[in-house]
Amino acid sequence: MSADELFSCHSQPTTVDYSGKVPVEHLDYDYIEKCKDVKYLEKILRVLRSGDEGIYPHLIQFCESHLEKLDPKSRALRQENPAATAASLPKEEWTQIVDELTTWQEEAKKTDNSLKKGTIYDAVVKETIPPVRGSNCFVPVSQNSVPNGRRNLSKCALPRDYREWDKFDVEKECAKIDENVVNTDPPAILNIGYPKIKTKVDVSLLPQQEKLLLANREKDKGNEAFRAKDYGEAVAYYSRSLSIIPTVAAYNNRAQAQINLKNWHNAMKDCQRALELEAGNMKALLRRATVYNHMGNFQLAADDLRMVLRDKPHNATATQLLSEVEKKLSESRPEQQCKGKKILIQEVEEEDDNSNNETTAQQTTCPVQPSQPVGGEESSATPAERGDMGNAQKKPHGRGDGGPHSESNNSHHGHWRGKGGSSDKYKVTQESKEKVANGSSKRGSTASVQGDQSGSGKGTPVGGNAAETVNLDAPCGALPPPLSRLKNEGNLLFKNGQFADALEKYSQAIQGYTDTGLDSPEDLCILYSNRAACYLKDGNSQDCIQDCTRALELQPFSLKPLLRRAMAYESLERYQKAYVDYKTVLQIDISVQAAHDSVNRITRLLIEQDGTEWREKLPDIPLVPLSAQQHRREEPPSTEVLQARAEKAARDAERKAQIHFSALKQDGNDFVKKGLYQDALGKYTECLKLKPEECAIYTNRALCYLKLERFTEAKQDCDAALKLEPTNKKAFYRRALANKGLKDYLACSSDLQEVLQQDPNVQEAEKELEEVTVLLRQSLANASPAKPRKTVPITEVEDDEAITAVPNSESSYRGENISINLQPTNAYDFGQSLNAARCSRNTAACAELLASTAPEMLPQYLSSQLDGHTISFIMEALDSHLLEKDPTLVYQHLNHLHTADRFSVVLMLLEKDERHHMTQLFEHLSVVESTEFTKNDVQNLANKYI
Amino acid sequence: MSMSTPLSKPQIIAHIQKSLNYTVFDSKWIPSSAKFVCLGNFPRGTGVMQIYEVQHGEAQLVKEVEKPKPIKCGTFGATSLQQRHIATGDFDGNLNIWNLEMPDVPVYTVKAHKEIVNSIDGVGGLGIGDGAPEIITGSRDGTVKVWDPRQKDSPVANMEPVEGETKRDCWTVAFGHAFNDQDRCVCAGYDNGDIKLFDLRNMSLRWETNIKNGVCCVEFDRKDINMNKLVATSLEGKFHVFDMRTQHPTKGFVSVSEKAHKSTVWQVRHLPQNRDIFMTAGGTGNLYLWKYEYPAQRSKKDADGGDVGVAGSISLLQNVTLSTQPIASLDWSPDKQGLCVCSGFDQSVRVLIVTKLNVV
Repeated sequence: MSADELFSCHSQPTTVDYSGKVPVEHLDYDYIEKCKDVKYLEKILRVLRSGDEGIYPHLIQFCESHLEKLDPKSRALRQENPAATAASLPKEEWTQIVDELTTWQEEAKKTDNSLKKGTIYDAVVKETIPPVRGSNCFVPVSQNSVPNGRRNLSKCALPRDYREWDKFDVEKECAKIDENVVNTDPPAILNIGYPKIKTKVDVSLLPQQEKLLLANREKDKGNEAFRAKDYGEAVAYYSRSLSIIPTVAAYNNRAQAQINLKNWHNAMKDCQRALELEAGNMKALLRRATVYNHMGNFQLAADDLRMVLRDKPHNATATQLLSEVEKKLSESRPEQQCKGKKILIQEVEEEDDNSNNETTAQQTTCPVQPSQPVGGEESSATPAERGDMGNAQKKPHGRGDGGPHSESNNSHHGHWRGKGGSSDKYKVTQESKEKVANGSSKRGSTASVQGDQSGSGKGTPVGGNAAETVNLDAPCGALPPPLSRLKNEGNLLFKNGQFADALEKYSQAIQGYTDTGLDSPEDLCILYSNRAACYLKDGNSQDCIQDCTRALELQPFSLKPLLRRAMAYESLERYQKAYVDYKTVLQIDISVQAAHDSVNRITRLLIEQDGTEWREKLPDIPLVPLSAQQHRREEPPSTEVLQARAEKAARDAERKAQIHFSALKQDGNDFVKKGLYQDALGKYTECLKLKPEECAIYTNRALCYLKLERFTEAKQDCDAALKLEPTNKKAFYRRALANKGLKDYLACSSDLQEVLQQDPNVQEAEKELEEVTVLLRQSLANASPAKPRKTVPITEVEDDEAITAVPNSESSYRGENISINLQPTNAYDFGQSLNAARCSRNTAACAELLASTAPEMLPQYLSSQLDGHTISFIMEALDSHLLEKDPTLVYQHLNHLHTADRFSVVLMLLEKDERHHMTQLFEHLSVVESTEFTKNDVQNLANKYI
Repeated sequence: MSMSTPLSKPQIIAHIQKSLNYTVFDSKWIPSSAKFVCLGNFPRGTGVMQIYEVQHGEAQLVKEVEKPKPIKCGTFGATSLQQRHIATGDFDGNLNIWNLEMPDVPVYTVKAHKEIVNSIDGVGGLGIGDGAPEIITGSRDGTVKVWDPRQKDSPVANMEPVEGETKRDCWTVAFGHAFNDQDRCVCAGYDNGDIKLFDLRNMSLRWETNIKNGVCCVEFDRKDINMNKLVATSLEGKFHVFDMRTQHPTKGFVSVSEKAHKSTVWQVRHLPQNRDIFMTAGGTGNLYLWKYEYPAQRSKKDADGGDVGVAGSISLLQNVTLSTQPIASLDWSPDKQGLCVCSGFDQSVRVLIVTKLNVV
């Protein structure tokens, strides 16, 4: 503006007279148009508006618009406006506002009422707040007014405050003296204290609606910090929000903040988590692509961006980034990808051999059916789809879509497993694939079959599609036709057991590859890996190892070459190296059972060989980067994943469905949609006659029974479904509804907790749980106070497949002891053991189990198991068996137990005598003298429980 | 950018207007509800507390209680979401905490000041601010006191002038900087233009300045973060936005000021869902909605190499005139973005809807 003023000073020296009157000749179109002096224009406008020189509406308007051009924020342009009314808005907008308001009012009313009811938390919350600050602490209102006598008058109740107050003053006085002597100012105080912000919020005592509120507010704070470019602070607040309730939005936002801070690994983690919660989330994909791009992993960046563009073809950011990435990809490929050094993050899921052929085969054999969210009215996920979802979770790249990939895509990454690939001439049967893929060694097969099935649908009838129409000219990744043919021939020979011939073909293909100077490390890796399988079959472990090593140089942390090399090492009795490779495999995918078995076996051998210090003699086990890990969590796919997949699948359903899926089930589903539950019931029953192992049919039929209010049958069906799939959420949810119908609120609540345990965001379950908790309380209040405890495990037992309740007698559990694995290495083992112990009310076994479990692992192990009875059972075991032997361990267990998921909710549901157990345990513990913990510690801990 | 067409900018809609038969001084939303409380003074000289519920486009009176002394101000800042007790200050210098379900007897009462309690604020409740629940009161008697509802009779801290110093009328108080369970600041504004920032952790005066005109209202953009911005409004129509992130040893905090209202700016309230948007209420019955824009760098080095803050800029999003009388109180709904209640000396209370706040 000052420049403008200067300019006008020179050009119109006579006119710049802000104090004086505006000459009439300046009230003129020409003059105004030429005038560049904002201040003077404002003055002209004021004169014009005042009407002192006559009223010229058009000139006023002209002056205003000219001023707006020069300075759109000019104060002279501000005018008084009346408040808007409904009439001043477009009708739709107003309707929307009113609707939103009404909805909010209704919700607010509900929240209001429920808050009024639930005051039970208050007492507990009060315990956690700091003490009163002091009493009558005097604070001067001006800096120079601190009389000496006055300070003594102030009475601070807390010595801490007093000292601080005292100390502060002395420093200040000293500073003043300093100032007089040396003229140095203290440094500025920068209020950038995000390290001082706690990144976790303890909300375990708060009800859900408050948690939601808080989580949102912390996220808002994060957003604000982000907008103010305080990314560190933003991360802190997003973390707080996530510690209350994890949401996709907060993960996404934290990822972006981490990206801005250049914390690539953290950003990556957050993107992964967001994608776990919601596969195919656009923002998460876009952000992960950005991270990949920065980490030099252009291939994966490009993959993600294509995913984004498939859904939103006009996304400008994605388009731009993709062209950038593709450019880098073509530039950097030879050096970076071949050496494989920079690309630590390798897509491990990629399949050897004929993976992109698999996809087409899969498409024709097992089309994906739409699945509905838990509690949805419609039905059904085929087992094929479940396998598929497992895949989605392993591959959090959100390949949840079924859009066809162009050949050019496929040539970039032969491992791409999109369904709907365009070359469906080439078909390989399920059986053959498995054979080819895993070299049919028994141990290997378990592992690779898992890998394969993740993509190709478990439980698809193997023999049903034995179409041996193998097209040997089908393209393989980026390989030119002659090499593709060689590879396909190799695959076929391998499948037929002609390993030497297959080996020959693969060798030719590798030779051809080197000769053509191709640039496709993925394909070469597969060729080496496949040849390694042939070597392994022929017993040539040395060459197998060599080929695997080459494959791994090309694609570090590929599952199959690692596994094959491990087996080759093992057969050469080089156990240490085998051990390391198996361990690496497990880091990538913890579910490879063969690797688990082998590790156990080799551990024993190594102990025999190297003594107790065997671990020290091991070579380093490489750390597998996060993004190469397929199974970071052992949990089944979350409902979000299922839901997201299902929604996408639903979109493609019309195009894809009807090819394979049984007509009966379809009819059943149709009836369900129409609300004809009785008819659907018949169809499903017929389905089950044909295929009694179909979990989805059971859950669907259960839904029908629920709708028909035949709760006992619904429950039976859910039980059957859970036998087939012990973690099926729909089955749990529907059994919960059935139990509710049967007025078994306890079982209902525990089922709902199971659902929420697996996926805390199922709102229906949340709502039901709230409702049922109330019902449960009422029913408990009505029931006789001394309800026999044993009824509880018995209802629970129905969940567990074959275990029947055993009376609690010493003799019986001794026998049972043998069957309980007391050295669990993972959550599953632990859960099994705990269940077994609990069903037999074998507290001694439980105590032993706990004794062999690291306390810090307990919450993780319990994650899917936690319910009131488990807690109470653990308490009992700790109290009666472990407390005497090892009170420190008991303390540590208790110290970790309360951090388990949903602990607080479970705590609320404890029964009277269960609480009694807990109180007793703490009483006993507080009597124990220990160097590890004090009575105070125990008291503090007890507060978290009681 | 978003200002280019009139329809894309926020609109302030007068949704509900309700005439009252008393002078209303303060109005506050009850958290997690569609209800608000109005506090004031009956013509016969007694105090009044009314609860209204927003329903079907109307504000329906739910409850009314009469109290011996006119009630000047109130806050829910120090209560839990379950209890939602309101703390009020009255003409006689009393601090009372009421359970609105049973408002006949206060759950906490103390003779806090010798004269009228002009202003009140709370923190540590409603999940806002870690640490103890605390209430602060500012009074005409020149003192600012911090209260903990768990402690009867005496304040936890007292900011008062020493003997010999002139007592200034404290018009406004606000909490801030409560981003962990130790740090906490109180800001107070006085009739002579003094703004003082007290540090409760150190029990000291941390910073003071004078804006040359009576300070009608101060508010931090958010109470429970590292102090970020502070808005102070003044008697003659100006308001100042201080960047509270960088405190220079001599220059203190930098600020940007804006003159918009042609008379006193009575209130400023930041949008609970976005700390960079705030509304000021003025003496001629108008409301101005503002947005603060951060500078590219929030601090720079001065000539001596010390850090000094850089102020951002303020842009006007919308303004409306509701009445010819001053709007004396304003409160955004903590739950529903854009919903706000304001009351003025025209003896009426209004519920406003501000649209498009999520796109500015």
